[in-house]
Amino acid sequence: MTASWLSLLDEAIKECTARDRPDLGWRLRHRRHQLGRGKLRVVVLGERGQGKSQLVNALLNAPVCAVGDELTTRAPAVIEHNATPAAEIVSAGGHAHALESANRAAERTETPVESATARANSVARGDSGPVRAQIGLPAPLLADGLTLVDTPGIAGPDSPSTAAALSEVFAADAVLIASDATAELSETELDLLTRISTMCAAVMIAFTKIDIVPRWRDVLSADRARLAQLGIPATVVPVSAAVRMAAARSGDTVLNGDSGFETLLARLRSDWINHAEQLNRRSAATLTGMALEQLSTPLREELTATRQADSGPAVARWRALGRELEEVQRRSARVQTVLADEVADLTSDVEYDLRDRTRQILQRADEYFDEADPEKSWHEFEAWLTDNLAAAADANITWLWERFDGVAGKVAHMLSPADAELLATLPATEPLPEPDTRVRMPAFERFGAAAKLFVGIRGSYGGLLMVGLASTLVDMPLINPLSIAAGAAFGIKAVFEERAARLKRRQASAKTAAQRHVDGFFLTYSKETKDLARLLQRALRDHISEWSEQRRAELTAEAKSVKETIDADSARRTRRERELTAALQRINTLHARVRSVSADASRGSPLGLTA
Amino acid sequence: MNLPERTAHLVHRALRRYHDHAEANALLGRQLARFDEPLRLAVVGPGRSGKSTLVNALVGAQVAPLESGGTAVPCWYRAGSPPRVTLYPAGAPPREYPAERAERGLATDLGDLPGTEAQHAAVDWPSRSLQELTVLDAPAAGDHASEQRLTAHTADADAALCLVPDPHRATTASTAPLRELHQHPIAAAAPVHTLTVLSRADELGACRVDALISARQIARKYRHTAGAGELSQDTIAVAALAGEAARTIDDTEFGALTALASVPKDDLATQLISVDRFADAELRSPVAPGMRHALLLRFGLFGLRLATTLIRQGATTMPTLAAQIAQRSGISDLREAIRQHFVDRAGVLKARAALIVLDKLLRSVPNAGARELHDELDSIVAGAHELAELRLLSGLATGRVTLPDELGDEAARLAGANGTRAAARLNLDRDYPPGSPPYREALFGALWRWRAYAESPVLDNAQRHAARLVVRSCEELAR
Repeated sequence: MTASWLSLLDEAIKECTARDRPDLGWRLRHRRHQLGRGKLRVVVLGERGQGKSQLVNALLNAPVCAVGDELTTRAPAVIEHNATPAAEIVSAGGHAHALESANRAAERTETPVESATARANSVARGDSGPVRAQIGLPAPLLADGLTLVDTPGIAGPDSPSTAAALSEVFAADAVLIASDATAELSETELDLLTRISTMCAAVMIAFTKIDIVPRWRDVLSADRARLAQLGIPATVVPVSAAVRMAAARSGDTVLNGDSGFETLLARLRSDWINHAEQLNRRSAATLTGMALEQLSTPLREELTATRQADSGPAVARWRALGRELEEVQRRSARVQTVLADEVADLTSDVEYDLRDRTRQILQRADEYFDEADPEKSWHEFEAWLTDNLAAAADANITWLWERFDGVAGKVAHMLSPADAELLATLPATEPLPEPDTRVRMPAFERFGAAAKLFVGIRGSYGGLLMVGLASTLVDMPLINPLSIAAGAAFGIKAVFEERAARLKRRQASAKTAAQRHVDGFFLTYSKETKDLARLLQRALRDHISEWSEQRRAELTAEAKSVKETIDADSARRTRRERELTAALQRINTLHARVRSVSADASRGSPLGLTA
Repeated sequence: MNLPERTAHLVHRALRRYHDHAEANALLGRQLARFDEPLRLAVVGPGRSGKSTLVNALVGAQVAPLESGGTAVPCWYRAGSPPRVTLYPAGAPPREYPAERAERGLATDLGDLPGTEAQHAAVDWPSRSLQELTVLDAPAAGDHASEQRLTAHTADADAALCLVPDPHRATTASTAPLRELHQHPIAAAAPVHTLTVLSRADELGACRVDALISARQIARKYRHTAGAGELSQDTIAVAALAGEAARTIDDTEFGALTALASVPKDDLATQLISVDRFADAELRSPVAPGMRHALLLRFGLFGLRLATTLIRQGATTMPTLAAQIAQRSGISDLREAIRQHFVDRAGVLKARAALIVLDKLLRSVPNAGARELHDELDSIVAGAHELAELRLLSGLATGRVTLPDELGDEAARLAGANGTRAAARLNLDRDYPPGSPPYREALFGALWRWRAYAESPVLDNAQRHAARLVVRSCEELAR
């Protein structure tokens, strides 16, 4: 029977190592080591200052553990049977599981029995990692196969000391809880009891310090009522260590009986020591069950997760990529149309703008030549016209760039709002050639002195003749002062009229020249702006196509890799699921075997179920 | 003006502001009345921590608990004659109950009162100890509902004793009252109104005759416990049961104790080995079994061991025995601590309590002038050197603040540890008038020296802070 037991444990240990849980493995190995020696391991637990160490001392009738009014026990003490008293202090010395492995890496120091626990406590007070006292005594109780473990007190339900105490319970066959008579069971103690009773069925409560509390019987019955109410099957035995010690000193058997320890020892023997084998088996079953449970929980969780998982994100990504690809194609087609429309609008607008500007310039030139004499102010006019045309060209081209910038931004945004900035950068182009703004001066006929003389003479002829003929009527010669004066007046008038007429002619020809020049300018310049617009349109179109092409390539590549991942993932999952199911199957079978053996063990007697 | 005067002045102003608000008026009136009454001390702690026992030990008679239908009624014990019980039910006029002086204490019958939750009582009791103290036997702390009741009942208290039955068991029930008492920001900023009492010191030392020595050791460590001991002015170990017995011992009991002490020492030690053995009817003892059982309940094992030892050592009269038990049970230490930390500073503590009540009122009942009053309240609290001084004294006494050599003693003296009068602070042989040369010499000598300490690079930050507080104390004297 025992052999089958140990083989079960071995299998569980193997499983722990295989599942990468060396901590559990160490624990089981430690337990196996203990079980192999056939001892009954009893852990003494309790809150601080409940008299745990005193209880151990009184059980053994020897001052083994250091006791005091203040917090004394800091390190656990393991007390076993030994033919001669011997003690050593075992410290982990930095190795994580040194204390559990029971015989390797730990550092051991021999020490006198009387001061062993005191020394272990002072070592534990320092910061030197886990430490315990290992004591061997030739006491009759221990000779029956009992191992007692004295532990530091528990501080509160969630403190690390509670966790440490509970981990001791896993390595124990039975738990003896010390709770003193000065107060009823506290919340911490009840919490501890509830937790322990699910882990280890063999629990007994030593109700200590009954020597100092006059009304301890009231407290005891209150405690028993509370335990019954919570359904915790634990025997409560009232004891007094002080009385037991006094009895031992004086050899008074009646007093010893009063101490309650005889009853406690009898219960220990009848309930625990006589059923050591069953308790061993059951506690090991509990521990193995716990370990297997801890092994299978993550496996079960992983299995559920694996079954539920369907590469969800990857598949979603893949679908999203497909959608995005379609979108890119659709958009780039639409954007090309929009671009063509926009540029057509833009070209017509720009042309109209230039036409409007030149028209205004011409209007002002006309107004100017209504007054000015082109002959005198042509150079001034030429400078003005050049400047104005240059300014108009400049404004027009700037407007064109701005409009184009807007168009580029619009289509870029339509194509991909995220990359809009990058896309909207216009390609660089050659600067436009400076427009030829030199204005040719029209040929003005000169109105020189000879011409003036000729016109004067021609004009004076009429006046001279008209007045000379009239004056002949009064017998004056044809040429007389009067006719000469009239001739002179007519001559001067004719010169003046001729000059005005000539000015009109010059103005007209200047206007025509300006008109011709501006027309020429408009023709050349509008051709150039149109060319520029087309150039830009082409550049932008190419840019967009290039981008779309690149984006399509990227998306296709990513979609491909995602698809590959999905395929690999699904294959891996199927494989993992098979592995997990197999591992769980193995653990569950082992667990079932453990349970069946443990059920055999508890069929023997109703251990610890008496209250 | 000192803190009590400034506080009273502020309460008067608040009274004028709230003259049309009846409830606020009554509340403020109570705060003013507070200054003319004895210090109000609440005894709080978890259930079965020995609150009533300690109240009895302080009052010097078995007056607590005041029970009705098996439940304890929260009760104030105040000086007054003849004995009288007044019950204050919630929302009903107070009722008086007949009471009389019984053998060791109060005898009264409240009957079975309905709805004990929302009521409290006051007991008038002729006792010299109550002349300077009014004591509250507070409801047990622990669960949430009782915490609210506790707050309601301790709101009237100037100071409190927080009972911790077992310092090893860090249960929430044992520290909850202390945290509750420091919940208000003013209370949290100046934790000067509580003393922690390890109320079952005898059990900490297994009821040995020297149990108090161990218990005092544990108390010394408990003073430095964050969140518990550190909030208190001091932590004191008391064997409450023995203390109560010492103060209420009668001739019959003394006779029985004397008879016990006549039993040979070793025999008696064996008889007192456990409560069961001592109460055993078969035991050969000069005292009858019934009396032995009664003595056990009254004195406890520790009290009996102590009393018989003391009688054997020569305390052969009842007063000497009572005095020595009081001494050895820690109850004298506690009374001394109450005197030093609370009674001597009653004015400051009352002002502190009144300021908290006023602060709550100004927050909960808005009024046109509330803001201005609140600003002044804040300035009073911020400038309350008396509170900082008390905290310094407790720090020096418990070792939370350490100063080198004799500086600690001098700092404590200047902060008023030996008495708050100028002569005591300055260590003068008699009361010199403030302007006189010896006074000026002592004061300015201290002032200049402590100013130097306050800036000394040799001292650490906490010590320099302490020195600054001492300087401030000296400056108060120089005004």
